[in-house]
Amino acid sequence: MPDMTQGGEGLLRRLTALFLATFTISATANSGYAIIAVMRDDFVNKRRWFTEDEMNDYIAIVQSCPGPMAVTSSMIVGYQAAGLLGSFAAVLGVIVPPFAVMAIVTVFYQAIVSNPYVTVFMRGMQMGVVAMLLDVCIGLFRDATKKSLAYPLVVMALAFLYVRITGCSIMWLALGCGVAGAVKALLIRREVEAR
Amino acid sequence: MSDVTLILRIFVAFVRVGALAFGGAYAAIPLVEQEVVTNAGFMTYSEFVDLLALDEITPGPILINSATFVGMKLAGIPGAVAATLGCILVPCIVAISLLFLFRKYKDTTLVQSIVLTLKCMALALIVSTMVKLGMNAVMPEGSTVEVVRTAYVMAVMCAAFYLMHWKKLSPLPVMLGCGALNVVVTMLGM
Repeated sequence: MPDMTQGGEGLLRRLTALFLATFTISATANSGYAIIAVMRDDFVNKRRWFTEDEMNDYIAIVQSCPGPMAVTSSMIVGYQAAGLLGSFAAVLGVIVPPFAVMAIVTVFYQAIVSNPYVTVFMRGMQMGVVAMLLDVCIGLFRDATKKSLAYPLVVMALAFLYVRITGCSIMWLALGCGVAGAVKALLIRREVEAR
Repeated sequence: MSDVTLILRIFVAFVRVGALAFGGAYAAIPLVEQEVVTNAGFMTYSEFVDLLALDEITPGPILINSATFVGMKLAGIPGAVAATLGCILVPCIVAISLLFLFRKYKDTTLVQSIVLTLKCMALALIVSTMVKLGMNAVMPEGSTVEVVRTAYVMAVMCAAFYLMHWKKLSPLPVMLGCGALNVVVTMLGM
């Protein structure tokens, strides 16, 4: 079980914090990346449940999962913070707001779709999301290039080209990266043994 | 078709979408279209286009929004529950399994090397999304590049980045601020 004593907060407080964090972001932004940025701000910078590097590990795992990033990141971060109950609280927080909003919106969506201000507001938020992603990218880049620079840069460039040019499923990319990482580990081991 | 069969079909359709939706919302939308419009015939294409417009302007993860909307239209609240649970089922199982593997073997060179590679992949994916969103903000729906609009968008992005990265403001208020600013600027007729 994850260590629930660090930070000196009780389980219930942790669950509430998890639920509130995912609930508020899910009720406002519609990008899965937004939830990662908010979690990083809340759980790394403010509450200090995880270090920045741990959070980056979770981002790497999340990116290898299918499905809505908001759900998988809540699942993982929730578990690391408070076990399965934590996962449950965080995922619940993600799915309740869209559920409530869509349930209402479905009934009279014509009025909402044709309201120009709603669109303009959401467009504006997208600019904020771009800035937020840049912030996340800087953290990830620093972390990934801590030990060496060449290998991470090559992987990043190849992965970027794969996404932009081929348009094939990310599943294959994630599998390919897994294999590449494994091969690299084997090569390192062989090098160490050869010495 | 009885209610139960319909709800089961909705559930199964969204389990498939959830299991195959790698790479974020933009990758998921064609899958929803395939399952909901082409395979199951739950919706017409024009209803699906309405759904896309709604996804764009409502908060919440796009896949969950789509699932709730489709389920709701077809079978009310039970349909919406079935669709939502369906699309998160496989992702949740995969996420927790990968996390367990990571927790167990995170000190081995093998897993560290794999996670490092996946981090690089994650970075590439995020940069790709960032470019897509940024381009969309500069020229919405394929309109041409306008100098004033581009300058405005760049200025807002830089200011937002400054506030979050250096001033350590929470992302949420910054994002809401960007939305509000955009409404004001549009109302002033820029």
